[in-house]
Amino acid sequence: MSVDVRPAATAPSEPKERKRKAPRLANRLGILGGAMVASLLFMAIAAPWLAPYDPAERVGLPFQSPSSEHLLGTNDVGQDLLSELIFGARVSLTVGIVAAVVALILGTTVGVLAGYYPKRLGRILMQGVDVLLILPFLPLLIVLAAYLGRSLLNTIVVIGVLIWAGPSRVIRSQVLSLRSREYVLAARTMGAPDRWAILRHVLPRTALLATGAFVRAVSTAILLEAALSFLGLGDPLQKSWGSILFWAQARGAFLTPAWKWWVLPPGLMIMAASLGFALIAFAMEERINPRL
Amino acid sequence: MLRRGLRNVNRYLLVFAIAVSLNFFLPRLMPGNPLALIAGVDVGLMTPAERAELMEQVGLNEPLLAQFFDYWKSVLTFDLGYSYRSGRSIAEMIGERLPWTLLITVGSLMIASVVGIILGGFSAWRRGKKTDLSLLTSMISLQSLPSFWLGMLLISIFAVQLGWLPSFGAETPASGYVGWERVRDILEHAILPIITLTILSIPGAYLTMRYAMLEVLGSDFIRTARSKGASERRVLFGHVARNAIAPVVTFLAIRFAFAFGGSVIIETVFSYPGLGRLIFESVSGRDYPVMQAAFLVFTVAVLVANLFADMMYPILDPRMRVR
Repeated sequence: MSVDVRPAATAPSEPKERKRKAPRLANRLGILGGAMVASLLFMAIAAPWLAPYDPAERVGLPFQSPSSEHLLGTNDVGQDLLSELIFGARVSLTVGIVAAVVALILGTTVGVLAGYYPKRLGRILMQGVDVLLILPFLPLLIVLAAYLGRSLLNTIVVIGVLIWAGPSRVIRSQVLSLRSREYVLAARTMGAPDRWAILRHVLPRTALLATGAFVRAVSTAILLEAALSFLGLGDPLQKSWGSILFWAQARGAFLTPAWKWWVLPPGLMIMAASLGFALIAFAMEERINPRL
Repeated sequence: MLRRGLRNVNRYLLVFAIAVSLNFFLPRLMPGNPLALIAGVDVGLMTPAERAELMEQVGLNEPLLAQFFDYWKSVLTFDLGYSYRSGRSIAEMIGERLPWTLLITVGSLMIASVVGIILGGFSAWRRGKKTDLSLLTSMISLQSLPSFWLGMLLISIFAVQLGWLPSFGAETPASGYVGWERVRDILEHAILPIITLTILSIPGAYLTMRYAMLEVLGSDFIRTARSKGASERRVLFGHVARNAIAPVVTFLAIRFAFAFGGSVIIETVFSYPGLGRLIFESVSGRDYPVMQAAFLVFTVAVLVANLFADMMYPILDPRMRVR
């Protein structure tokens, strides 16, 4: 994978009207993504007030169709699906965000070190990053999750440990160019220790890039959590959107008319959450490196 | 170029070594009884004598280093061992699963690359116009589509609601179809998994092609071609597309690896008897030896795809032949 498959486009000369339209689109998409994320976060925080029932309680007959009492019907043990959906936001978003924090910490550390010490340490670290990027991603995720066991913390760790490689590459290339800037050189010539130069001059200037990478990581992590839970490798006690779909699959809900209220809504939620973060990331990346 | 290729081969060997070592160390370092994690059996149900015998058989009594060498020896001699759960040879299990996975991944990737390349090229050519922006936006949205959910919806709509296509498996069981009948049956079963994988692979191909085209479109020789009066079509097909295709092929090779891994989820949704489904079954059945072997096969497939990309690149992009 030594070949960069996604070259940054050099800006060709272009007519003026194109220049105006594209950034506007990126901004709009960013705002849309922000609104989606904000409303989902609100749903997660206000879940106890929004949900009509306790999601763990058996509040009706199993396999009920939507009614005025249960707007999205009930599942195979008689729990209210709408309440599960609302509370599911908590699990999915928590895993997504915390796993991205893990990935960000790992990715930034490796990226900054590899960029600041490009010779030996950097070479070794980037070799490791390449290895991680080549390994078959989903099978590795599943193997790790299977050995570690099913818990919220393990899901977070497994996802975080596997998705930091991308961000670390982005940050490294930024640090590579930063370390030879005048002010960094000046600080080093005046005898500042590396630690000072990194913390004071290099790290703050990677913040924008790191934030973009973080938001994108959240988007990825939400999808991965859903996939793991769908395969039955999520926390059995914390029902996320992915686990609702796991049960829908296990009980064959998608083979009956129940798919309209049991399968459709959780998937839409997963997509909205992942897309919301992806749109914000897109708008941010467009600022840093316009490709529209 | 040769040196570059060799360096990559070293890296692939390293990846392989790491995958094998992960396989070896993970079950031995995890909390819990390593015997259960390595042989994949219910240790609690066994008598101490049976347990001791199995320990001996698996080699857990030997020192760690000796076990490590033995493990490498068995991997390098393609001795994948037996599944203690089903009592079958693992190599045989993988052999009968692999073709199905290849069928749906290769099939979907071919469709996805044609669609992605055409749309991406078109989009880049209309850069900043309405078509480009709406295509780009929809591709970004497609990337957030949960794959298993898409599969479930397709089953609900096309298999259950409309009844057009079968909803699970790779063939109608005990149908006795032969010849063309059988081919048709297999294709009918493969359509929905292939469509799902295709929809998931299109955005990647599209985005790569679009970026690659944009880069070429901005370069000097395109301006030269335009200023010497070449027709727009000639510029597009003769110059731009020819130069943009190399990164796309690389991407596709890598995407193949990705789609191959993604089959774990797709095949689970469609109960499709491929390698991905095998890994899922072995995980939920705690059949760890099978899971490990399947993981190794996935790793090798990824490495082969990468190697292929490395070899194709200089052929497609003459600039890479120098040095």
